[in-house]
Amino acid sequence: MLRVRDLVVRYGAIQAVRGIGLDIAQGEIVALIGANGAGKTTVARAIAGLLPYRGEIAFEGEVLKPNNAERNLHHGISLVPEGRGILGTMTVQDNLLMGLYVRRDKAQAMKDLAALLERFSILAERRHLLASLMSGGEQQMLAIARALLSKPKLLLLDEPSLGLAPKMTDAVFTMIQDLRREGLTVLLVEQKARQTLKIADRAYLVETGRVITSGPAKEMIDDPVVSETFLGGRATAAHP
Amino acid sequence: MSVYDAGLLSDIGILLLGALSVYIILATGQLSLGNAGFMGIGAYLTSWLTVVAGLPITAALIVAALVSGAIGVAVGFPALRLKGIYLAMATLGFGEMVRSFFQNFSAMGGSEGFHGMHHVSTGYIWTWAAIVLVLIMLIEASPIWLEIRAVRDDETAAGLVGLNPTEIKVGAFGCGAAVAAIAGGLFAHHHVYIEPGNFSFERSIDFVLAVILGGSTVAPGALAGAVILVVLPEYLRFLADWRFAAFGALLIGMLLVRRQGLLDRALLRFAWPRSRA
Repeated sequence: MLRVRDLVVRYGAIQAVRGIGLDIAQGEIVALIGANGAGKTTVARAIAGLLPYRGEIAFEGEVLKPNNAERNLHHGISLVPEGRGILGTMTVQDNLLMGLYVRRDKAQAMKDLAALLERFSILAERRHLLASLMSGGEQQMLAIARALLSKPKLLLLDEPSLGLAPKMTDAVFTMIQDLRREGLTVLLVEQKARQTLKIADRAYLVETGRVITSGPAKEMIDDPVVSETFLGGRATAAHP
Repeated sequence: MSVYDAGLLSDIGILLLGALSVYIILATGQLSLGNAGFMGIGAYLTSWLTVVAGLPITAALIVAALVSGAIGVAVGFPALRLKGIYLAMATLGFGEMVRSFFQNFSAMGGSEGFHGMHHVSTGYIWTWAAIVLVLIMLIEASPIWLEIRAVRDDETAAGLVGLNPTEIKVGAFGCGAAVAAIAGGLFAHHHVYIEPGNFSFERSIDFVLAVILGGSTVAPGALAGAVILVVLPEYLRFLADWRFAAFGALLIGMLLVRRQGLLDRALLRFAWPRSRA
């Protein structure tokens, strides 16, 4: 579904991503794990079309143009950015309506919104509240719900657990699994490596802008490099 | 209505248009301190069209609005690279550049100014002011306003839902410039004489002040601000030379008590419960 080859992204003189390649198949949860500053967010933002880059990103066989978020959204790529990117001075409902902006099928879109509010009942309860007044977990729900309203084929989630309480983090990870069961493809960018690897199908470990290792997520939990670097160097068997 | 009252009312109408020109741009999160420049372009161009080219005032205002709007779009593109105080300084520079241009543009009188325009009535000025105000209020009640607010809130997030922040911000600059040009054209034909000093930095500050005082989150705030800025100094005349100091103190007090300005959405919703304000 998504093919990334030799991706290079620079911020001025700094090369944040140095020739990364990755593949995502339909219906997969693929994790991009790594330390802070490794280049994970930059990869997600390049795929979403928010950054200029060198290399090739192809989605469903079509090569995407860099720095064209609007077009990529129409292709079916939706990013929930780090920090959620909710529109704080707008109500929950207005935020959700913005999620429908790219939809041409307005009647169906409104039905989808109604269905979504049934699914995320907390958003229905808070629909007239300013988005900035909601808790971090609720804001994350809103950000994901808004992204879903654009009917994405590929959902890019950048640090969805950032700043959330453990219970809310669990809820978000459960939701990601539910979305995959419904057929959605997910690229999950996370620092919480252990929890991420448990729900992902495959994973890429990124360090200083390069992929250090990759493979099936379950195997990567036992990978010595991953274990040493991100799981505290402890054997997974001891921490099931 | 006395000539004095009509003069005040006309000043309010022109200031309202100037304030709305700032409000449109501010709605996208950009602060322009150069709208007096667009007003000057509108004033000189409308005057030339009516006096030299013999165009009717309404047609001249429309042409001036279109030309100034196009210049606003041209200014809006480089302005995209700037934010906050840097954008404010750049637009201030633009306004002073326009003033300086007309100061040296002898074909339009240079520093001696330009005259020969026919006087327009208070009713004519208010027709334009009301049309622009109602138009903006209609946009505020439409989904377009959501898009504008989204860009103001978070450009990246706006881009991620499929909006084009560049188009919206540059478009706002163009619309603001067009409205400022209408204010300028009406100013020129109300006072029947213009000079570059009419479109100085202080004029731009008046526009911004009207928006900040009246309420920067709703279009009727510009109306409230224009009324305050024009009428209040008149009521403070009994203070003689101290009136501007008293006016300044009142402004500071008002902003301390009500930072969002006199009018906001909550107040309008309270006043008109069934409105979408």
